[in-house]
Amino acid sequence: MAAADSPSATLRRHDLCSRGIRLAGKMRLDVISLLDTYVERQGLDASASVAAVEGVPVAAVERWDEQTGTQRLLENLAAYRAFRALLAQMLEEQREQLGETDTALGRALAAVLLQVSAFAYHLEELLRLESRGLPSEEETEPPLLPHLSLFERKLRGLGVLRELAQWALRSSRDLRQLAKASQGSGSAPSLPDSP
Amino acid sequence: DSHIQYERVGADVTMKCGSMDWDAAVTWTANGTDIDESHLNGSYLILKKVHLSQSGQYSCYEGSSWHLKYQTYLRVGTPPKEPLLMCRSNNYPKGFYCSWHLPTPTYIPNSFNISVIHGTREMVCEKDVFPKNRCHIRYLQLFSTVKYKVTLTVTNALGKNSTTVTFDEFTIVKPDPPENVVAKPVPNNPRRLEVSWQNPSSWPDPESFPLKFFLRYRPLILDQWQHVELSDGTSHTITDAYAGKEYIIQVAAKDNDIGTWSDWSVAVHATPWTEEPKHLTTEAQVAETTSTSTSSFMPPPTTKICDKGAVVGSGAVAVCWTAGLVLAAYGVLFI
Repeated sequence: MAAADSPSATLRRHDLCSRGIRLAGKMRLDVISLLDTYVERQGLDASASVAAVEGVPVAAVERWDEQTGTQRLLENLAAYRAFRALLAQMLEEQREQLGETDTALGRALAAVLLQVSAFAYHLEELLRLESRGLPSEEETEPPLLPHLSLFERKLRGLGVLRELAQWALRSSRDLRQLAKASQGSGSAPSLPDSP
Repeated sequence: DSHIQYERVGADVTMKCGSMDWDAAVTWTANGTDIDESHLNGSYLILKKVHLSQSGQYSCYEGSSWHLKYQTYLRVGTPPKEPLLMCRSNNYPKGFYCSWHLPTPTYIPNSFNISVIHGTREMVCEKDVFPKNRCHIRYLQLFSTVKYKVTLTVTNALGKNSTTVTFDEFTIVKPDPPENVVAKPVPNNPRRLEVSWQNPSSWPDPESFPLKFFLRYRPLILDQWQHVELSDGTSHTITDAYAGKEYIIQVAAKDNDIGTWSDWSVAVHATPWTEEPKHLTTEAQVAETTSTSTSSFMPPPTTKICDKGAVVGSGAVAVCWTAGLVLAAYGVLFI
C-alpha cells in the first residue's frame, strides 16, 4: 500500500474528498428540488409512505460510525451505480408515458442522472487511489420487475428519489469521515485484513 | 383504615364512616377541623361540587367515644388533557430526546408511558433522571427514510390521554445555541467588532457533522437586526458598526445539511473602539458647528465625512468620531 500512503496520494485523497463533498451537497439539493417537481407532476401526495422498494439501495445503516473507509466507498459506489440504472429506467418510463423526455421533469431527471454518474465516477477514482479493484458492474442492473401499473411506477419513482436524497446526505458524511481519517493518520483509511 | 381517594373537580362526593351504620352518631373533621353537621346525611359526609381547596385529610370519629373509625386523604383533581410532546436531536448523530408536559395541571399524580416505533422495531426511550419528563434514545440506524412514531400516554386516577408525533430522523435535528460568545472592539477601528464563539458542547462531532452559523447584531438604540450567515468558522468581524454605539450580538447554529436553527445564544454586548477625547471644549465647539447641517437620520459616517480639511481640534479621527456621534444622535431624534 506504499503508493496509497504517499504524501501525494494523501493530498489527492483529500482533494477528491473535498470535491466529492461539494458534489454530494449539490446533488442532494438538486434531488430535493427534483422530488418537489416529481411529486407535483406525478400528482402524488408528498407525505405518502412508500414501502421499501426492491432493487433500490437503502441508505439506512447501523453502526455507521464503525465502518471502514473502504466499506464506505464500496457501499456508496454500489448505490450510485444502482441509482444510475434506476434513473435511466425512470427516464425511459417518462418517455413511454408522455412520448417525450423534454419536459421539466424529464430535464430534471436527466440532470440528476448526470450528477449520479459523475459521482459514481468520483467514487471510482477514490477507490483506485486505495489501490482497490473496482467491483464488477454486472450486479448493478435494475432487477426485472413484474409489470407495474402507472400508479405503482410513480410510487416506486418516489421511493427511488427519496432514497437517493438520503444517499446524497450519507455520502457527504461518509466523505467527511474519509477526509478526517486521512488527516488523522496521513494514510489510507483502514482496510479489511488481507491474507 | 387510611387511604387516598381521588375525585374530579365539580363532582359530588359521599364518604362513608367505614363500617358504621348510616344512623350512627359520628363527627367528621377535615384537616383536624370539625365539619358542620349540615354536610352530613346520617353518618355520611356529603361534599357537593368539590373544588381543589377541599383536598385534605378527612377523619370520622364515633360520636361518644371519639374513636377514629375511618380516615381518607381526599385528592381533588382532573383527568389529564392531551399532553404536549416534542422530540429533538441536539446531539446528532448520537440520538434524540423527547420531552413532554401537560397543558394544564391535574393536581394529582400522573404517570407517563412513552413508546417509540421505527418501522417495525420498538425502541426503548430511557427516562432521564432530570428533568423527569424527558427520555432519550440512541439512533440505531442513520440515514433512514422510515419515520419514527412516538406515542406518549399520561394516566392518572381519573383518566388517561395520549398524543402521537411522527417525524423523520433529519427533521428534528436542532443543535443547542453556540457557547461562549465573545464580542470585542478592534483597536483603532471605530466601526469593527470581532465576534467569536464555540460549537455547542452537546454537538458530538462537529468535524464530521459541521455546523453553520447565523449571527445577528444591532445597536441598542435601534430595533432592526443585521444578519450574517456563515458557512464555516466560529468567528466573524462586523465591519459596519455605528461608531461609539453599544451593540447587542447573538449567534445561532444549524447542521450544515439538515434540521433547523438553534435558539439564539445568550446575548453579548460590545461597543466599537473609540479614541479617547482629548479636549472636551474643542468637541463641544465642533458639535455646535456641525449640528445645524443634519435634518434626517443618516448612515454612520464614512471616510468622506472624515475630511482632513474639516479638522478642528486635535486629530482627524477625533473629529470624525464626534461628527458621527452628532449625526447619529440627530438621527435618533428623528426615528
